[in-house]
Amino acid sequence: MILLDLFTLNRSRLVAICAALALFFAAADALAQKKVLRMAFRTAETGFDPQKVYDRYSVGVCENLYEALLTYDYLARPVKVVPLVAEAVPEPEENGTRYTFRIRPGIHFADDPVFKGQKRELVARDIEYAIKRFRDPANKSPYEWLFENKIVGLDELAERAKKPGARFDYDAKVAGIEVRGKYVVSFKLKEPDYNFLYILAMPNVVPVAREVIEAYAADTHAHPVGTGPFVLKEWVRRSKIVLERNPDHRGYELETRYADSSDPWDRRAMEALRGKRLPQLDRVEIYPIEEEQPRYLAFVNGEHDLMDELHPQFIHQVLPNGKLSPALEKRGVSVFPELQPEFTYDSFNVEDPVIGGYSPERVALRRALVHAHDRTQEINIIRKGQALPAQSPVPPGIVGYDPEFRSPATDFDPTKAKALLDMFGYVDRDGDGWREQADGKPLSLTYKYNSGPETRLLAELWVKSLANVGVRADTVAVQFADLLNDKRVGKFQLAGSAWTADYPDAQNFLQLYYGPNTGQSNESRFKHPDYDRLYQKSLGFPDSPERNAIYREMNRLLLAYAPSRLGVHRIYNHLQYPWVKGYKKHPILYTNFKYLDLDVAAQQVAMR
Amino acid sequence: MTAYVIRRLWQMIPTIFGVILLIFFLFNWVGGDPAQVLAGKISNPEQIANIRKQLGVDQPYWYQLWVFIQQVFTFDFGRSWSTNEEVSRILLTRVGPTLTIMVPVLVIETVLAVLFAIFVAYVRGTVTDRAIMIICTVAMSISFLVYIIVFQWLFGFILGWFPVQGWSESFWKNLLTYAPLPIMLAVFVGLAPQLRLYRSFFLDEINQDYVRTARAKGVPEKRVMLKHVLRNALIPILTNIGISLPGVFVGSFLLEVFFSIPGLGREIITAVNRSDFPVIKAVTVYLAVLTMIINLLVDVMYKFVDPRVSFK
Amino acid sequence: MSAVLTNPPTPQPFQESPGVWALAWRRLKQDAVGMVSLVVVVFFILMMVASYFGLVASDWSKEKGVSYANPSFMAGAENLEAAAMAQKQAASKAPPVDLSDIDPLAPRYKEWEERAAKIAVTEVKRSETLPFGGDKWGRDVLQKVVKGSEVSIFVGLTAALFATIIGTMLGAAAGYWGGWVNDFLEWFYNIFTSIPYILLILAFAAVATATAKFGKGVLPIVLILSLTGWTGIYRLTRAEYIKHGNREYVKAAQAIGASNWSRMFVHILPNVSHVALVQLSQHTVQFIKAEVILSFLGFGVPVDMVSWGTMLAEAQNELVIGKWWQLFAAGASMAILVTAFSLLTDSLRDALDPKLK
Repeated sequence: MILLDLFTLNRSRLVAICAALALFFAAADALAQKKVLRMAFRTAETGFDPQKVYDRYSVGVCENLYEALLTYDYLARPVKVVPLVAEAVPEPEENGTRYTFRIRPGIHFADDPVFKGQKRELVARDIEYAIKRFRDPANKSPYEWLFENKIVGLDELAERAKKPGARFDYDAKVAGIEVRGKYVVSFKLKEPDYNFLYILAMPNVVPVAREVIEAYAADTHAHPVGTGPFVLKEWVRRSKIVLERNPDHRGYELETRYADSSDPWDRRAMEALRGKRLPQLDRVEIYPIEEEQPRYLAFVNGEHDLMDELHPQFIHQVLPNGKLSPALEKRGVSVFPELQPEFTYDSFNVEDPVIGGYSPERVALRRALVHAHDRTQEINIIRKGQALPAQSPVPPGIVGYDPEFRSPATDFDPTKAKALLDMFGYVDRDGDGWREQADGKPLSLTYKYNSGPETRLLAELWVKSLANVGVRADTVAVQFADLLNDKRVGKFQLAGSAWTADYPDAQNFLQLYYGPNTGQSNESRFKHPDYDRLYQKSLGFPDSPERNAIYREMNRLLLAYAPSRLGVHRIYNHLQYPWVKGYKKHPILYTNFKYLDLDVAAQQVAMR
Repeated sequence: MTAYVIRRLWQMIPTIFGVILLIFFLFNWVGGDPAQVLAGKISNPEQIANIRKQLGVDQPYWYQLWVFIQQVFTFDFGRSWSTNEEVSRILLTRVGPTLTIMVPVLVIETVLAVLFAIFVAYVRGTVTDRAIMIICTVAMSISFLVYIIVFQWLFGFILGWFPVQGWSESFWKNLLTYAPLPIMLAVFVGLAPQLRLYRSFFLDEINQDYVRTARAKGVPEKRVMLKHVLRNALIPILTNIGISLPGVFVGSFLLEVFFSIPGLGREIITAVNRSDFPVIKAVTVYLAVLTMIINLLVDVMYKFVDPRVSFK
Repeated sequence: MSAVLTNPPTPQPFQESPGVWALAWRRLKQDAVGMVSLVVVVFFILMMVASYFGLVASDWSKEKGVSYANPSFMAGAENLEAAAMAQKQAASKAPPVDLSDIDPLAPRYKEWEERAAKIAVTEVKRSETLPFGGDKWGRDVLQKVVKGSEVSIFVGLTAALFATIIGTMLGAAAGYWGGWVNDFLEWFYNIFTSIPYILLILAFAAVATATAKFGKGVLPIVLILSLTGWTGIYRLTRAEYIKHGNREYVKAAQAIGASNWSRMFVHILPNVSHVALVQLSQHTVQFIKAEVILSFLGFGVPVDMVSWGTMLAEAQNELVIGKWWQLFAAGASMAILVTAFSLLTDSLRDALDPKLK
């Protein structure tokens, strides 16, 4: 009897079943309506503790999990610093040595068991703690240099921690970091620094909660807790990163104050995001793929929604003759060409016995090497035309860039190279087809590079170019760690290099030739008193015609003494499918997940 | 028998010690300094020294060696220097994808190789036999790299039958969507050498006296092949499978790199590139021990299968 | 029979029974496939020698064609890369910066200009097509393949030779002496075979690049391959020496006073040399294939040389943009040689030891 009851389809049961089905379909529908962005990173990530990482993809994820005091406006070009968790961008006080920030009340960290069910509000102490973390030797922070010799009292605290057996005292007061009340923090610098605001806009100079760091001390990379709009949902190291929108986040709105209505990307972004509460994406799935072919094919096959940094190898398939290929155009793919704020170069070791030195003979040799190198082939064949020749270390778009500055000293000109070598005695005396040094000793140069398919091509180009002017050269491929070490200690003659902006100011590039930076970022070990004097002078000026004049002098010295061969500024092409809305690649910010929207219906249709 | 096993286990110790020594000196002598990579774009020698101190590489060699030996016996290699992930966790999570590819490859390859080898042995000496052998040789002469590039392009991109690369969390999705192309590739490439080898095993058996006796007794050829030859040829075949088992755990790094499979082979390459010594140490020691144990098992199994074999 | 001495029979010309090599050669001649393979291998070796002496492919590195020049049989097909290269970069309109007040070279500017003007400029005309196409620099793929064969075969042969020498010497020592020599060498062998091959390769490659001072050219890669590839030969040689060490002829040699070294290398070695030869041949094939993988990993031959491995590594990304000729040329020529070599090895083995057939 009871059994029969169960199978009777009476009305109430029918209603229940319908309700259940409706709920089920609604849930499925809701799930299907989730905005999920899928993309690939070009190299694997390290982790998500912002004070411990420096590789661009780890930092890029941190950009979404944490919030810095300042950030950059999404649409403004040239880039503009705007407040994020701070209420306003502070004006420099006391001649550029004091900056005072007021943090907005009511901003909370994402929920975490460490907070024991309470909402944890962001306070000024959190940024104080984060900055101290940079100097803690236990964190071996790759960005420690940002705060070295910068804030009053911080160096002394760091020194105390370096003593054997000592631990960093986070409770000690630092004179240069004044926390005034709950939300105000004021920094006092040792020297004027007009780029300090850029530092506080970096995605890893972000406040963190001390109790979280201390609770997860064993593995802070895997437990990122920030005030950002996304949280780390899933992480399979070097295989998959999943971010999900934090529903408790206060949300953003697109700022259109600095938008350029004549720029189609700005217009499209405004149209797509106007009035919407950001971020719109519910979920971001990131897959690191290091090989170029699989990454490219994955995008073309529709497995990913956008592809950042199309490798130049595929440029003629995707952009034949500079226009989008018909196949991709049919599918509505867009291309965003971006001149990245970086430059590639080859360092000459100015302390090397053969090519180093500041005398006319040695300078001539280096200048001849620069003229001999076929930069045209480098741009056209290796970089597939996706590069601009560099006239100075400073790339376009960076504050302090001078578009008028150019010189034939960087041109590919083998006749000038040969003439120069002949003039200063680098001729072939023993008839073996190769030039010798002025004193008759054999001349053989060595180029060191990080082994890899593209770097191998650059090495090949050097050998060919130098052979063309009669200079013998050979190459040594080394492991990445060894190359870094050799460059730091000056154990090389010529070596390949590149530098990307940490912040959008020319100083970040010109410091590469500042004498005291030898052993760190000054790979060439260039120590020219005039250059150093000018550099120090430039630190006292904000962006101004005076500073630009100083930079011009410094650039002229670099061209004359050739401590390195200036390479190119690379152009990157970013591809998106039409259902990705609001895209505009920012030169400094690494990701733009906060500002993207997805047309889920279109995405589903295409994926079918 | 137990005495034999114990003696073999005992003999493993000097070998493990030798492996430890070799890897230790090779990577300490020439492995790049990991501190350089971890130090960031701008750092001074002091910061690099600090990193080295934290990693423990500033200690004298003999001390580091002693730490290494301790780690081997406690099975705890600490954390990766580049990702800070626990090494044991790294190994455990990477073995899964590798096995998902390599075990089906082993099974399919063996079954196909045995079937083909029986057929070829059956028609030995004929033109078919010679032709198949030559096809095998040709197939083996093309580089694995070429196969991967062409197959990925052809099946993934042009025909679109399989995804070009990728891996997911779900085992079944992996097995049914992402694994088939790499598995197909590996089987295609590995079949030829296996076929040649198994064919030689079968031919060895066919030339034995007992086969002639069976034929003289009037047993049909098919029955001779399947009942007598196959069973006896299984011994070297199983031995061969045993020998290739350690390779199943290492996987094919080429496949893993091109198809973005988070397996052990790819992990080894990444670890070497980053001079991530804990991972290198752990992988080497575990695989060495695994190889030795598998060899021991194969030898013991051999004894059970072939009573003529005696232990020395 | 009378016991009276009769005239000794006139001495017949002493007929040596044909040695193992002569017999093997005879058998090989009858094997059609073996002979064809031999011809192919000899052809490649001749090509290698000719290339080494510069008789062919000596200007393989000259950039004769445009970038990715099409093969002659595809003349007229689109070549977007070359077209892009032909477009000149727009010259900048900004006036050049004057360096004369700070430039140490300034005093000799005039002399510099005069000298530069006197140097003749030779414009090389690049052709639109090449016989089998060009690579990204415009180098002739066909010439690269010939030169690459030289390097690859050389690497394979020398590495196999070194590996055979190492494996044979160690195997002989272990098999002949036995005792603690054998135990030590077995321990050594176990270490090498327990470590995963890829790790061993990477470790030795790191050694080879770090000690680049004594390893220029192909020596590092030959060392990497031979120092990691001797184990199979060792095993077989050791087994052979154990087998032969107990044979009567060795005991006889001992009886006539032959020293240990003499017994090992004068008496036994010739009898096991056929094993060594087959191993040499097999390992040549194996190392030629391994060189490709090493080149892919970045440990291949230096930048100014070309090998099948470097060609295939370059060709990785070329297929997807439609440039298939380098991949095909290197892949095919390698396949042909390796097939021929493998078939030759099989025939050699059959000829030398017909019982194994």
